[in-house]
Amino acid sequence: MQRLQGSDPGAGGVVAWIDERIQARTLIGALLHVRIPFLAKTYYLGGITLFLFGVQLATGTLLLLYYQPTPETAYESVLFITSEVTFGWLVRSIHHWAANLMIITLVLHVVRIFFQAAYKYPREMTWLVGIGLLGVTIGFGFTGYLLPWDQRAFWATVVGTEIVGAVPWVGEPILELLRGGADISDATLTRFFAIHVMILPVVFAGLIALHLVFVHQTGLASPKRPDPRPREEVTGEPERTKPFFPHYVLDEVLAWYVVLAALVVLASLFPAGLEEEANALVTPEHTKPEWYFLSVYELLKHVPRLVGVLTPVILVVVLAMLPFIDRSREVRPRRRRLAILLGLIFLVGLVGLTIRGYVS
Amino acid sequence: MHDSDLVENGTGPRMSPSPPPNALPRSHAVRWLRAIVIAVPCTVLVLSLAGSAIAQDPTPLPTSMTASTPEPDGSGASAPPAPTPLVHPPDDGTNGCYACHVSIDDRQAELSTIWLESVHGQAGVGCASCHGGDPRSDEVTVAMSVAAGYIGIPTRADTVGICGGCHADVQRMRSSNLPTDQYAKYYTSVHGQKLAEEGDTRVAICADCHGTHGVKKASDPTADVYPLNVPQLCASCHSDAEKMEPYGIPTNQFAIYQKSVHGEALLGNQDTRAPTCASCHGSHAAKPPNSTEVVEVCGRCHTATQALYEQSKHSRLEAVAPRCWTCHGTHDVSNPSTELFFHRELPEYECTTCHDLANRKLRLQATQFENPDDRRCDTCHHPESIIYAQVDAIYRSLDAAQVAFDGAAAQIDEAARLGMIVRDARVQLTTARTSLIQAQAAVHTTKLTVIAGFADEAVAQADDVRALADARLDESTFRRQAMVAVLAIIALNIVILTLWKRRHDLELR
Amino acid sequence: MQVDEPIQPARGVGRRQFMRWLMGFSVVSTIAIIVTPLIGFLIPPKSSGAGGGGKMLVGTIQDIPPGTGQVVPVGNTPAVVVNTEQGVRAYSAVCTHLGCVVAWDPVAVNIVCPCHDGRFSPANGSVLSGPPPAPLPNLQVAVEGDEIFIVSV
Repeated sequence: MQRLQGSDPGAGGVVAWIDERIQARTLIGALLHVRIPFLAKTYYLGGITLFLFGVQLATGTLLLLYYQPTPETAYESVLFITSEVTFGWLVRSIHHWAANLMIITLVLHVVRIFFQAAYKYPREMTWLVGIGLLGVTIGFGFTGYLLPWDQRAFWATVVGTEIVGAVPWVGEPILELLRGGADISDATLTRFFAIHVMILPVVFAGLIALHLVFVHQTGLASPKRPDPRPREEVTGEPERTKPFFPHYVLDEVLAWYVVLAALVVLASLFPAGLEEEANALVTPEHTKPEWYFLSVYELLKHVPRLVGVLTPVILVVVLAMLPFIDRSREVRPRRRRLAILLGLIFLVGLVGLTIRGYVS
Repeated sequence: MHDSDLVENGTGPRMSPSPPPNALPRSHAVRWLRAIVIAVPCTVLVLSLAGSAIAQDPTPLPTSMTASTPEPDGSGASAPPAPTPLVHPPDDGTNGCYACHVSIDDRQAELSTIWLESVHGQAGVGCASCHGGDPRSDEVTVAMSVAAGYIGIPTRADTVGICGGCHADVQRMRSSNLPTDQYAKYYTSVHGQKLAEEGDTRVAICADCHGTHGVKKASDPTADVYPLNVPQLCASCHSDAEKMEPYGIPTNQFAIYQKSVHGEALLGNQDTRAPTCASCHGSHAAKPPNSTEVVEVCGRCHTATQALYEQSKHSRLEAVAPRCWTCHGTHDVSNPSTELFFHRELPEYECTTCHDLANRKLRLQATQFENPDDRRCDTCHHPESIIYAQVDAIYRSLDAAQVAFDGAAAQIDEAARLGMIVRDARVQLTTARTSLIQAQAAVHTTKLTVIAGFADEAVAQADDVRALADARLDESTFRRQAMVAVLAIIALNIVILTLWKRRHDLELR
Repeated sequence: MQVDEPIQPARGVGRRQFMRWLMGFSVVSTIAIIVTPLIGFLIPPKSSGAGGGGKMLVGTIQDIPPGTGQVVPVGNTPAVVVNTEQGVRAYSAVCTHLGCVVAWDPVAVNIVCPCHDGRFSPANGSVLSGPPPAPLPNLQVAVEGDEIFIVSV
């Protein structure tokens, strides 16, 4: 029997069958077979953040199958997931811990970029998109926190939206926009749910696609020397490189396994809890926002309200504009003492305020 | 002279004594002397009686303006003395008293202002109602004249009558919708009886508790008679050793009350549902409740407990009946527990512990239970008595229920500590708790069947809850074991990948 | 040497095969620990839980005739259902004093807490007498025909 060409791919021939049609091999090859600086030290933080986002996407979708976003049923549905659904406690706890870890690794990633000056030419756009991703991630944390509709969630959201509302001029309208009215109500829950489950994931996906494309196009930064401008003469030894695939990718996957182990331990030993159901008439005694907002919360205790609200806004703007404020070509820490000093001060302040907010 | 002559011969009231035929002729002087000798001592006697009566009543009411009713009788046990309102000219809407006194000096100004802001000032009850006098005039000689009824500062003995003059008058109090039984009640109280019978003016009178010029409503939180302030008010005299010395009353009640459940609720938690001194002793009719009254007094709030107690044998005994105070104390009521059943160490039993030496009858003495450690069932029920076995059975039954409940609660807490959801277990625990509390309350019936019924139910329900909590704990253990297994797999994967990575790195070199 | 040669590739092939097997195991075990909870999660659990419009059948008008009341379990919380002149009402059966479970008193025709004799009105759950500081929370009731439902506890 004569075999018709291409009608019977056979094992391993699947790839060839696809490749014949869309040249997948060349495409994938172009994406994977790049080289990265030998001295690049990313600590895999960006990749871990991406991995955690993937975890959130998966666990979030699973939770979506049982969660009900109305004030009457939200709490019960979360209780149902945690106590009745098989492995429901696991999915919910992993979702809870991956959210916290994602914010930590994201901040560490930003810190790494800053201290290695990887935001400078030619990576300005990557940095801007990254700041957008930071905002979206904080938004994920803020909107998702309300969804269990227990006392902690409800009142932390009250406090959080009040802080937003304190921003001059735009604060009040934004507060009403967020809350879907003057107070936290079922409209708030619906809005937060829509933002958390559809709007932010779509925005995040778009931004991360841009971010990865930019990273691919510019390549990873070298911590020892800045990227040469076009038509610039390259002096000194050529940069040593190593392959992205499979070496770096393998290290990345190893890091992901470690993070997975951490998630399993945290979810098993410290499962996500549930307080009593939200009651708009009863304010609990010690309402605090979630830990990643504690620095702002603590700051507001010590400075006038306006200062405390505008400071984070201004700092974020400064952070976003960083590649355009710091235009020097230097990437080594020794040559950027001012930047390093400012960065350390900011970091110490942030961590100090957070710790203070936690213990008080 | 012989009055017998008068009696023998006299058939009519006005029969003049006829001299006997053989007697010497009496002169008019002698007859006058006889009259004087008889009349003078009688007059002196009458006058001194009247004088002492007046001396005791220093309110010289001009008879033309007397408005009071007949004199009080001697004994306070029957009808209380009639109130004695002051009579004075009407004020016609003026208050000359205030207008003057507010500008005399600082002290008078303060008193006047206090009065104006008081309940009386706001209701238009003027100075003359308590001090007498003519409020229309601004001349001292007219306004503060005896003719106008001015009495100055009322004495302690008079105050009650003056206050009662308005406050016991139903018609007068109608518009302010105030009760009018305080005056009558006061004279049934220990304070009132001492005042009426012994003339003891050291007792509490109206002004001591309610104030003089600055009388406030009892519902005003700043008033001394506001429930939260009542214990301190009573203690201002009753905790003072000097004041109570003549009466031989102890002075530690307030101190004891402060540490009691009631005291902590009222003074610590500011809970006005808790009893004050007046709640049990009465306010105007203040008198310590006697032994049989106690059950009704406590039962005013503790209704369920009273109903249970009245099912018991104890409530049907007369002389030897334990009442609420016997086991729970009076001022020092504390949270009851199963410790109230038995002494830690058996007490010494003597005949006199339970029997009256005179007639060998059983008797219950208050002194036996003064020490809180003696407020136990086995103070009366000897270990070798039949009833003791029942007491012991009740104790065991309750103890078992308490232990089961506490055990279940502890398991739930442990499961919660490990992060498990325990809401359903906690809710189910409330049914066990209900049964336990009912069992504890049923102790007052002294019926083993009733108590054991509730206690056994509590045990069964607590055991169900414990099973739930144990299931959660097992689940937690399983999760940890599964975690270890998964970690092992991940570790294996890391090792495999590292090996693979090493191979690739080697190949590269 | 030709004598030694065949040994090398054999060991190399063995090691390579072993490596492949290990990689296979790695992939399979990773997939297993991810897919197992996933499948378990997707399979709907047996109990009703949140859902079905949050409505729970607690009895019929025959079970609870007018002028009477009954304590019924709703999920795992107790509720007290009363049939009053103004219709069927339901309240949380957890007493607001110290958390005991209340009962229906047919003699006094009101809701009583057996622990400390607190009384609640069947008409609106308010406190009639006794130590409870607050009324019993209201629960939503739906009566369809003869059947009494409590809506979303």
